[in-house]
Amino acid sequence: MTPKGQPPVLISSADEKLALSSLEHDQLVHAKKHFIPRRHLKGPELLVLWALRTYLLFMMAVVVYQVWIAAH
Amino acid sequence: MSVGSQPSPKLVPRVVDGEAVVITHEDVDRAHDRVRVSAARARRGFSSRAKLLWLLVGPGVLVMLGENDGPSMLSYAATGAKFGIGFFLPFVALTFGMAIVVQEMTVRLGAATHRGHAELIFERFGPFWGWFSMIDLGIGNFLTLITEFIAIRAGLGFFGVSPWIAILIALVILYGALVSHRYWTWERITLAAAAFNLIFIPVALMTRPSWHSVGRAFVTWQPLPGFNKDTLLIVLADIGATVTPWMLFFQQSATVDKGMTTKDIRFGRIDTVLGAALATAAAVATILATAPLFAHQMTADTFQAAEFAQALQPLIGRFGASLFALGMVEAGIVASITISAASAYAFGEVTHTPHSLNLPLGQGKAFYSVLTLCALAAAAIVLIPGLPLVYVVLVVNVVAVLAMPPALVFLFMLVNDQEIMGDLVSPRWANGLATAVVFILTAAGVLFGISIIAPNTFAALGGK
Repeated sequence: MTPKGQPPVLISSADEKLALSSLEHDQLVHAKKHFIPRRHLKGPELLVLWALRTYLLFMMAVVVYQVWIAAH
Repeated sequence: MSVGSQPSPKLVPRVVDGEAVVITHEDVDRAHDRVRVSAARARRGFSSRAKLLWLLVGPGVLVMLGENDGPSMLSYAATGAKFGIGFFLPFVALTFGMAIVVQEMTVRLGAATHRGHAELIFERFGPFWGWFSMIDLGIGNFLTLITEFIAIRAGLGFFGVSPWIAILIALVILYGALVSHRYWTWERITLAAAAFNLIFIPVALMTRPSWHSVGRAFVTWQPLPGFNKDTLLIVLADIGATVTPWMLFFQQSATVDKGMTTKDIRFGRIDTVLGAALATAAAVATILATAPLFAHQMTADTFQAAEFAQALQPLIGRFGASLFALGMVEAGIVASITISAASAYAFGEVTHTPHSLNLPLGQGKAFYSVLTLCALAAAAIVLIPGLPLVYVVLVVNVVAVLAMPPALVFLFMLVNDQEIMGDLVSPRWANGLATAVVFILTAAGVLFGISIIAPNTFAALGGK
């Protein structure tokens, strides 16, 4: 993945061949330009994710409260 | 470096399967590593297997010894000093068992998809959930990084090194590991530094622990600690010392950056188990090292990293205490290296900017900048005079435990996703174990919440 505007580092043809022969196609940086398709989350999955998100936010508030108590 | 002697006049895309493919420097470096793995795999015999293990070991050992970081070693030291030899020895070993179950999944995910953890969450579940997990990771990583520099500062402070010099030494080592711009070299330098985590073993031996008591503790889990808020905090801190969100992101990204494939999963598992065994040995040794403080009725409630070394000095001498302080320094340095890398990997995966330790500086400016800025910002905070850093140390492992269940649910959903994992989806027994880990972590978090909001509940249940 060469960033835009960056001069590419020159690669020898031998190295190119080596990369193509020893790496799996999905391993090439080039392959990562293809996004993995989005998955549709089902109701129970969303429920678990929201429940855990709520749990985390609530518990973080508890931690902040504990620090506040300790500080005072 | 792998750039050959006959450069092509310009980058000409090669056509593979009807698609134009541009090979990058990162690909070539990774390919050179893979050639050595393939050569070792092609040969038979013990030495070839040992060579293959040497080549493939890395992410698992690094993540486990990296997690034996400043606050973790402090938690183990506090455990030994408050409870002595007993329940917590097998308990800590059990927490590393949980870490193996969880981390093995990241090896499979990385090897099967060749994508980092943050990348997979964003692409598979969308940016809404992706940003939630990134915020968890970002906050957790930054707080933890601060504690690593606190440990380094305190550990070197034992030898009279000023805070500025201590932080400078840590940053020089962190950048020293990066200068080659090669994943393999970075990994080997960090592994060499991580080996010093075992320094706690000779310290433990110097305290001449009762091996009979140690054996009895592992077999019977006795003596049990009292059921109260202090015990719960130590339980939570010890769990947070072995399973944290950054570990998931780091090991998967490192597995991908190392170039591991599905053929390497067995060695990835060995790497993870080996790392857990070494980390358990260091953690147990730290508990044993500070157990004499419990026997001598020394209260450790207010001890910080290097203060344990000072407290141990009358018992194990200046040399033993120095080793303990050096262990704290090592714990902070290795974790600061791995946690900064985890943050930089995740940033690159989410922003789709180049993210690899194989990147030349010019191509990996964003990656190396994030890595560097994370470490610099945390280091700078530690140097602000009068800041109450003790609270960060107190809460960092607790925050890690609380953030783990949401992170684990994403991991389970990904590792059981047949579309991306194919035949490598988790077997039922692994899912059962992983679900148990989520329940244990959530229950520990809920108990912690109850102990803060309604502290009298524990008294009603017979505790204090």
